[in-house]
Amino acid sequence: MWKETREREFGNVRPNLFRSRISKSRASSIQLSNYKEILSSHRGSVNSLQVDLTEGRYLLAGASDATVAVYDVQRPTDYEGHGLIAKHRSLFAINKQHEHGHKYAISSAIWYPIDTGLFVTGSYDHHINVWDTNTRQVVMNFRLPGKVYRNAMSSIARSHMLIAAGTEDVQVRLCDIGSGAFAHTLSGHRDGVMSLEWSTSSEWVLVTGGCDGAIRFWDIRRAGCFCVLDQSHSQFGRRPPLLVRPTANKKSSSGGQSSGGKVRAPQRKANGNGLKLHAVGRISSQVKTAKQRSHPGMLSSHDRATGHYGVVTGLKMTEDGMYLLSAGSDSRLRLWDIESGCNTLVNFETTRLQSSKALQIAVSDDSSLAFVPCMTTTKVFDMWSGQTKSTFRGHYENVNCCWYNALDQELYTGGNDWQILVWSPSKLVSDEADEMRNGQAVAIDQDNWSD
Amino acid sequence: MEDEREKIVVAALIERAIDSTAAEVDPRLLKAIKSTVRYSDLELRFAAQTLMSLMKRDHSQVRYLALLIIDELFMRSKLFRSLLVENLDQLLSLSVGFRRNHPLPAPASVASVLRSKAIEFLEKWNESFGVHYRQLRLGYDYLKNTLRFQFPNLQANAARVQQERREREMRTKEILLKKFESLKENFSSIKVEIQSKIDEVEECLEILRMKDEAMPLASTDDEEMEEFRNSELRQIRLDSLKEGEKIQENSDNKVVFDALREFCKVLMTKHLPAIQEWISVLIRVELADNRFRDSALKDLIDIRNLIQSTKRRCEESGCYLPKIANAEEDDIWEEGAIEPFEKGKSGPSCSKSSDEIVASASNNTRDAGCSNNLSNRNEKKKRESSCSESDPLRSKLLTEAPVLTWGSFLDNWGSNRDFLANQRGLDLESHWGRVDYNAVIPAEKLAELNVRASVYEDEPVEIQPCRAPLRKGGLCQRRDLKVCPFHGPIIPRDDEGNPINEASTTEGTAGQDEPEESTPDVDSDIVDELLKQAVRNVRERDREAAKKRELDKQSLKRAKLAKVREHNEAVLRDAAIASTSRSAHIGEDIEMGRGSRSSKGKKQTLASMLKKKETTKDRLAQRLLNSRAKDATIRQLTGAEEANYKEAFPNQW
Repeated sequence: MWKETREREFGNVRPNLFRSRISKSRASSIQLSNYKEILSSHRGSVNSLQVDLTEGRYLLAGASDATVAVYDVQRPTDYEGHGLIAKHRSLFAINKQHEHGHKYAISSAIWYPIDTGLFVTGSYDHHINVWDTNTRQVVMNFRLPGKVYRNAMSSIARSHMLIAAGTEDVQVRLCDIGSGAFAHTLSGHRDGVMSLEWSTSSEWVLVTGGCDGAIRFWDIRRAGCFCVLDQSHSQFGRRPPLLVRPTANKKSSSGGQSSGGKVRAPQRKANGNGLKLHAVGRISSQVKTAKQRSHPGMLSSHDRATGHYGVVTGLKMTEDGMYLLSAGSDSRLRLWDIESGCNTLVNFETTRLQSSKALQIAVSDDSSLAFVPCMTTTKVFDMWSGQTKSTFRGHYENVNCCWYNALDQELYTGGNDWQILVWSPSKLVSDEADEMRNGQAVAIDQDNWSD
Repeated sequence: MEDEREKIVVAALIERAIDSTAAEVDPRLLKAIKSTVRYSDLELRFAAQTLMSLMKRDHSQVRYLALLIIDELFMRSKLFRSLLVENLDQLLSLSVGFRRNHPLPAPASVASVLRSKAIEFLEKWNESFGVHYRQLRLGYDYLKNTLRFQFPNLQANAARVQQERREREMRTKEILLKKFESLKENFSSIKVEIQSKIDEVEECLEILRMKDEAMPLASTDDEEMEEFRNSELRQIRLDSLKEGEKIQENSDNKVVFDALREFCKVLMTKHLPAIQEWISVLIRVELADNRFRDSALKDLIDIRNLIQSTKRRCEESGCYLPKIANAEEDDIWEEGAIEPFEKGKSGPSCSKSSDEIVASASNNTRDAGCSNNLSNRNEKKKRESSCSESDPLRSKLLTEAPVLTWGSFLDNWGSNRDFLANQRGLDLESHWGRVDYNAVIPAEKLAELNVRASVYEDEPVEIQPCRAPLRKGGLCQRRDLKVCPFHGPIIPRDDEGNPINEASTTEGTAGQDEPEESTPDVDSDIVDELLKQAVRNVRERDREAAKKRELDKQSLKRAKLAKVREHNEAVLRDAAIASTSRSAHIGEDIEMGRGSRSSKGKKQTLASMLKKKETTKDRLAQRLLNSRAKDATIRQLTGAEEANYKEAFPNQW
C-alpha cells in the first residue's frame, strides 16, 4: 500500500487507478464487521435496503412489520465496549402506528435518487407511499391493483420522475411523482412482476422480471417491450463472438427459423458489422430489431421466451449498464449481455436461492463482484468466472437483500432474523493502533491456557 | 508426513474422549487434548474441524461431549475461537437445535441437557468474548430476542439479587430511622404516661393492703370452686390460698380490683410490647450520634423492669393477672386441660366397672378390633406400650389380652347400658312418631343378641404327590391323601421316584457307582437297570472331568491374553498422554486397532442409548396395526356400511 502511495505521489499511478485499486483490494477483504453495528429497529424480516445515492450516508430499510427506518452509516449514535463497537441506531422509524403508515409488510423502500428529501415505499397493502423525509409525512400515495413486490426509480433520469412498480398484477405501472397519476401501464408479462430495474445507461429503459420467468426490456417512450431475454439463447464470453463457431448451427435452429427473411434489418450494434450473419447472437438480435421495426410489440414466438425456469426473483444491472445479473427461483444466476440479449453462460456456483421472495442483489462498483443472498448466507461471486469468492455467514435466517456501499466498500445485508448486518473490510492499521491504546481497559482477546 | 501423524493424534484423542456414555469428558483425555493442541496451531485447526464434524453426528451424547471439549478450548485459545465463530450458526443449530427442520438427535434426555448446556455456554462466551466477536453477539441476540430462549442469566441474576437485598436493607434502615425520630419526639410523654399508670397501680395496691388489714380471711366459696374445674387452676388457686396473705375479692373492694386489673392489662398488653419494640429499634438503628440512643435505651430498660416488677407485685397481692392479662393464654390453658381430662375419662370408667381387668382388656380389644387387622398387632402393641409406658399394669394386661376378629358384637363391648327399642322415633312405614322412652331393651338381652360368632377354619394341609415313576417317563403327579389308586400307598420318594426308605434298607443310593449286592427280594431287571445306570453315571462323570480340564486351560489362556492386553492399553494411554511424537507413533498402530475394537464395544453402549424402549403403546400398535387385525376391521366396517345401505335402500338390489 505504501509503495502504491509513493507511486501515486511520483505520478506513476493515476489517482483514479490508485483509488480503484485500493477500493478493489478492500472490497475483496470484506468480512463481518466487529466494530460497526446497526441496531435494527425492525421486528420483522428486512426486505429492502438502500443507501442514498447522493451522500452515501443514509441507509433506508423496509421490513415486513411495516416499519421503515433510516440509519446513518457514517456517524454512530453510541459506542460500546470502550469505543470498540460503534452502534448505529435508526435516525427515525415509521411503523404501523403512523397515521399514514403501511398496514402490511413493506417490500421495497427506495430513496428519491436526486436527494434525500423523499423516499418511496411499496407495500403488500397495495400502496406506494412517497414520504417527505424531514417531516415524515406522506406527500403522495398510489393505489395499485395488487401487492407491490418492488418499485424502482431511475438513478440517471433527468427528464422524468417515474416510479416503476412491479405488483401481483401482470401490468407494470409507472407512477409519476410530478402528476400523482399512473403515467404508463406496461403490459406483456403473464404473471406478477417480482423484480424491476432501471437501466443504468439509458433513462428510458426499464427491465422487469416476472413470475412467468420472463425478463423484459421496455423503452418507456414506445409501447410494448422491445426485448425478451431467452435463456437458451447464449453466447460464450462477455462479448458476442466475432467468429463463426461450430456450435452455431445447433443454436440457429431455435432462433433462426422464423427469421429467415428478415436479415435485411440494419445493425445498430456498436461492434456488429452486418456481415457475420451466421452468428447466433447476431441473428436473433437482428430479428429483434426487425420486430421492433415492423411491430411495436413482439411476435408471439419470441414473446414466450423465458429467462429462468420459474420466477425471476432478482435483477441487477452493472454500473456501466452493459450486463444484467438475474436470479431465479430455479436457483440459477444468469449474467446477460444486454447489448446482444444473450445469456453469457457464466456458471455461478450457487447452492440454493430463496424462491418465494424478491431478492435484492448487489454488484460492486467496478462490476467485478456480485453479492447474492443464498438462503442464510450471502455469497460473493466473481462476476466473470462465476466462482464463489467467499461466503458470508452471519444471519440466522434467510437473507433477503444486500446493498453494496461503494463509498466505504461496505456491504449491508438484511434478513428474516430482523437483523441488518454490516460487512466491511478490516480496519486500517492506524485505527487498530488507536484501538490498542484504548483497548487496554477492555479484556484483551488472547490465549489463556491455564494448564 | 510428520503433520499427518500428529493430526491423527488429536483426532484419535477426541474420538476416544467422545466415545463414552458418561456425563463428563474423561479429565485425563481432556488434559491430553489440551496439551496436544496448545503447542501446535495445526493440531488446533484439526481439532476444530474434528469437533465440528462430531457435532454433526446423529447422537446427542456425542454432540454433548464434543460441546464440552469445544467449550474448554474456546475459553482458552484465540485461534480456536476465531475458527469456531465462523460457523457459529451451524454450531448453535447443532447444539441448541433451534431450527425446526433440524431437531436434536435421539436420546431425548441427553438432548435436553445438551441444549441447556449450549445456551449456558453461549451466554458465558458472549460475556467474556462478545466484544471481540460480532458473531457471538449476533447468535446470543438472535436466540434471546428473536427466538426468546431463556438464558440462565447467571451474572445478571446475582446482580439483581444483590440489588434487591440492598434496597430492602435501605428500606428497613429508613423505617427504623423514622421510628427512632418519632420515639425521640414523644419519648418524655410516653415515659410520663407509663409512670402515671404505674403510680396508679401502686395506689390501688396500697388501698387494698390497707383494707386487708381490716378484713378477716374469707373462707373459700363454693361457686368459685365450681368455676375452676380445671385441676391446674385449682392447684394454683390452692397455692395462692395457702399463701394466706392474699386479698380476697369481694363486694367492697371489687371496684379497686377492677381498676387494678384494668391498669395491669393496659401495662401488659400495650406498654410492655411497645417498650420491647422500641428497645429493638434502638438496638438496630444506626446513628451518627449515640448519646440519646444510649440514654433512651437505659431508660426504656428501666421502665420495662419496673413494669415487670409491678406486675409481680400485683400477682403477689392476689390479683389474678394471668386471667386478665390476655385472652390468648386462656386458649393455651384450655389446650393443656385436654390431657388430664382424657386421663380422667379412662379413670372413671375403670372405677365404674366392677372388674378393672376386664374393662381395660375390653378397651384394648376394642382398639385392636377397630383396626380390623390382626397382622399389625405387634405394631399396635408397640404403639400402645409407648403411649402407656407409665402404666405398667395396662401394658402387662395388653400383652396377655386375646386378639379378636372384628365383628358387630364389638360395638357394645363391655357396656351395660339399656337401649331404647326405637331411639329415632321412626314409626312403621316411614312415619315419624313418638320416641317411647319406656320401651327399652335391657343389656342382658342385647348381650344375648350379640352373640359372638366364629367360623371354623381347618388348617391347610399340603397333600403330597404320589411321585411314583411312570413308564413313559416322569413322575406321577396325583395327589391323594394316603393311597394312590395306581401306585399304592404314598411314601416319600427321591427325585427319580425310588422310594427312599426302601432303598436305604435294600441298597445304596442310585448315585453310588457300585450296587452293593443283589438281594433276592428285588427282581433281576431292576438290578440290571441299576447296573446300567451306574455305568452311565461313571462315564458321564469322566466326560465332565475332561471337559472341565479343557475349560480350565482355556480360561487360563484367556486370562493371560487379558493381562497382555491390559498392559498394552496402559502403555498406549501413557503414550497418548505424553504425546511425544515418537511414543505416539509407537502407540499408533495398536491404538488404532484397539481403538476400533473398543469403539465397537462402546458403540454398542452409545447405540443402546439410541435404542428405543418398547412401550405399551408400541405393543398395542403392533397388535392393532398388523395386517390381520386391519383386514378384520375393514371387513367389519364395509359390512356395516353395506348393512346401512341395504337398510336405506331396501328396494334396490
